Amino acid sequence: MAIATIQEVVFGEDLPTFEPDTSLAITKQFAALVGWGGARFSDHEAARKEGLAGAMVPGILNQGYLVAMIHHWAPDAEIKAIDTVFRAPVIADEKHTISGVVTVVNEEDGQVEIDLTVSNEKGETRVFGTATVQLPLA
Amino acid sequence: MDQDITAAREKFLNRDFDEKTFAIPAEKTIEYARLCGETAPRFLDASHPEFQAPPTYIASLSGSRSLPEGFPRFGLGMDAGKGVECFLPVRPGTTITGRTHLHDIYSKTGRSGRMVFAVSRMAFFDADGQHLANADSRLVMREKS
Repeated sequence: MAIATIQEVVFGEDLPTFEPDTSLAITKQFAALVGWGGARFSDHEAARKEGLAGAMVPGILNQGYLVAMIHHWAPDAEIKAIDTVFRAPVIADEKHTISGVVTVVNEEDGQVEIDLTVSNEKGETRVFGTATVQLPLA
Repeated sequence: MDQDITAAREKFLNRDFDEKTFAIPAEKTIEYARLCGETAPRFLDASHPEFQAPPTYIASLSGSRSLPEGFPRFGLGMDAGKGVECFLPVRPGTTITGRTHLHDIYSKTGRSGRMVFAVSRMAFFDADGQHLANADSRLVMREKS
């Protein structure tokens, strides 16, 4: 059930996980949209020649997945801040899971803090971060 | 703090070194939202009364340069992360201005040597000069041993 107000948020709760479309087709479209040329986002073979394990999902697309997960959980949530650390490449065409856990709930001002993670099928954290989110008071 | 980091902070922090204007086309922000997996109508439907760009859209906007002229090359640079602060919604169909400065410079030393971090902040303003958002890019430079 979607969260509507701060009163519905429970400290420590996990947000429903989200499995984004990390296909090469999406990665390629996104890189083209934002004007990031370069084969590292669009071609596995070319990315391997650069020493990567395959074509990468752009870091800001991972950030976008994390924010989308928050909006799936609480459609009226306003992102006040998000900070993400790109710990290791997220490889396109590999399954990844986007998850979050509520670490701070402030019922007075309606703000929550959420720890965020992008992990691969081996359970390795590839991206992590924190978001500060404003929710309706009532 | 290391002397060279202190010197770099004194010389480069909090001084605008780039300014650029950006058009915010609705079709682009909608596609951005769709590819990220957004489902909220305010990001996807141009007729929605609160139609706006997704909050992290501004992280995709690049200035003319990411570091100020004369900034020391501590080593090979890599993107270590991004941050966004949102104050007001970015409205598609408008033009915004991004001004960039170095927000922080610091170092960490580990087993593999010293790494220098530079946080470049682009502050975005609308046509009325209202501060809409900040986008931070964290660059890490690993020193050659």
